[in-house]
Amino acid sequence: MTQPARHAAMLSISNGGPNAVAVDKQQSQHIHTQSQSSQGLRVPSNRKTIYDRHLNRSRSAELSRASFAFLFAEMVTYAQRRVTGIQDLERRLNEQGYPLGLRLLDLLYYRTMASSTSSSLSSSSTSAAPPNRPLRILPLLHLIHGPLWRLLFNRPADALEHSVSPETPNEYMITDNDPLVNTYISVPKEMSMLNCAAFVAGIIEGVCDGCGFEAKVTAHNQPTEMWPGRTIFLLRFGESVMEREKVLERAGVK
Amino acid sequence: MAVFSLIIINKAGGLVYQREFQPGLRKLSTNDYLVLAGTFHGVHAITRSITPKLPLVATTTNPPIAPTTATTPTPNVTSPSSTSTPTPSSSSSTYTYPNPGIPATGLECLETDKFRLTCFQTLTGTKFLLFTEPTMVNIDVVMKKIYELYADFVMKNPFYQLEMPVRCESFDRNLQGWLRGRT
Amino acid sequence: MSYYFTILSPTDVPLFNIAFGTSKSGGDGIARFRFPDTAQYMNQFIIHSSLDVVEEAQWMNGNMYLKHIDTYPPASAYISAFLTPSGARFLLLHQPPQLPSNSAGAGGSMSGSLLLGSGGGSSRASASSVAANPTSPQTEEAVRQFMTEVYENYVKTVMSPFYRQGMEIKSSVFRGRVTAAGRKWL
Repeated sequence: MTQPARHAAMLSISNGGPNAVAVDKQQSQHIHTQSQSSQGLRVPSNRKTIYDRHLNRSRSAELSRASFAFLFAEMVTYAQRRVTGIQDLERRLNEQGYPLGLRLLDLLYYRTMASSTSSSLSSSSTSAAPPNRPLRILPLLHLIHGPLWRLLFNRPADALEHSVSPETPNEYMITDNDPLVNTYISVPKEMSMLNCAAFVAGIIEGVCDGCGFEAKVTAHNQPTEMWPGRTIFLLRFGESVMEREKVLERAGVK
Repeated sequence: MAVFSLIIINKAGGLVYQREFQPGLRKLSTNDYLVLAGTFHGVHAITRSITPKLPLVATTTNPPIAPTTATTPTPNVTSPSSTSTPTPSSSSSTYTYPNPGIPATGLECLETDKFRLTCFQTLTGTKFLLFTEPTMVNIDVVMKKIYELYADFVMKNPFYQLEMPVRCESFDRNLQGWLRGRT
Repeated sequence: MSYYFTILSPTDVPLFNIAFGTSKSGGDGIARFRFPDTAQYMNQFIIHSSLDVVEEAQWMNGNMYLKHIDTYPPASAYISAFLTPSGARFLLLHQPPQLPSNSAGAGGSMSGSLLLGSGGGSSRASASSVAANPTSPQTEEAVRQFMTEVYENYVKTVMSPFYRQGMEIKSSVFRGRVTAAGRKWL
């Protein structure tokens, strides 16, 4: 009888966590549920799957900063196991963020789409068109700098720059004066090169890759007197992206 | 209204943090600080075990237990809540702590004419020692804020190992910034 | 009208596919393609051959819904595409029924085309705009609604912590949702 109990508990997790009462109910109705579902997929007895949840429900919900800080601290500790060096650690943090970027991209567009259609219902303006996918680098960067940052941190990023060096036209910089993920982190002196915002860099990389802009994103410390935690995210776009950029420019695509 | 210095002692009696916030204090050597922390840890444990208990046999109000006096006449060691009146609960035991239900905490504050030492022990056994001016009020507010900063910038730091010396640059920065902002 | 809907990953791996027929104007929701049942792979051939067009249009048009992008005249198959921002492609192949009904005059009362046919067999010709005229704005709007609804469910799938990009979507709930969207809009 332990097996069904665990199963019911797992369902409640994947379902977004109904309270303990719901779990009890699931246990009692478990046999009933199992007989209903035929091909391996088990549906909770309240018939609520992730498809029944509205994606905008948690849109303005607040998350405890402390629980995020503890979670992120554990993620860093986890990534630190058996690493060979700082670069290896940053690579792992980057890999943890990457899938998140891919997901957030879809969610971000869904939410902007949903809000723009709902506004179009009330006001018959022409601005109701769903947001466009970024085709060129600049719209992509504005997407990251603005909407993505607002989705993640509730504020836009602090600066967006293009590399001034003519040798590296494929490099762009996004600055965050005080990255949320680093709020409580003090990096030991012997690892002074490390920046745990490599996780955020991974998210950015996921967003760029998802949009079809192959890129490598890294996080670098750049402290100032006023902002000791200032971080620069360096985006290096690949050759193919730069070539396509030229073609699209000639074609007049914005 | 000045905070002189802060010492943090882990639950094993080891010194994990020590900072001065005022210029012109006489410095101790690192070793002396370690000895100080260890000694205080021991004294704290002793004061906890000798916290006076009140007899319950008589319902008459007991004379307040005189504070245990240390060997030197100047410091005045006060036990926690020793001034509170005994509760008239009748129980089988003949002695009880002045505040039943709250276990004895040990030394909480030590006063001289030069400074006041306030000790705060967390639930996990970490002790915060704060040296302030004897006239300073609202020390509990300062202590609470320091504990909060510790919980934020030390305990949420993935590079901090429990019970090890605190080397968190953002803790230093925020602590100093907050204390400076107060004065 | 028969439909074949598929989701392809950015690297052209099929993640999901489903065949269904129209439920409008008295349709029974069963796909009846012109190929024999043994040649269902033809749909996949036709749909995948339109990927070149999709990839060309992808960088010229920033919309998510690319509308009708390709036609395969021998089978009179029409293909509409929808691109998610993360690079997954939703492709819908639609094939009008074998007997072309008189779709010429149907353009006037298009506003009701999304509603169910008014019952009875005779309504087949008048309300079959979605079915008989795959390139009309009404059809495109219906397909857009369908795609948007599928996209919503796709996002929910993607947000699941147990789903990784490029994994096949096996959820029967998702399949049910797509079927329902097809019944609602197409």
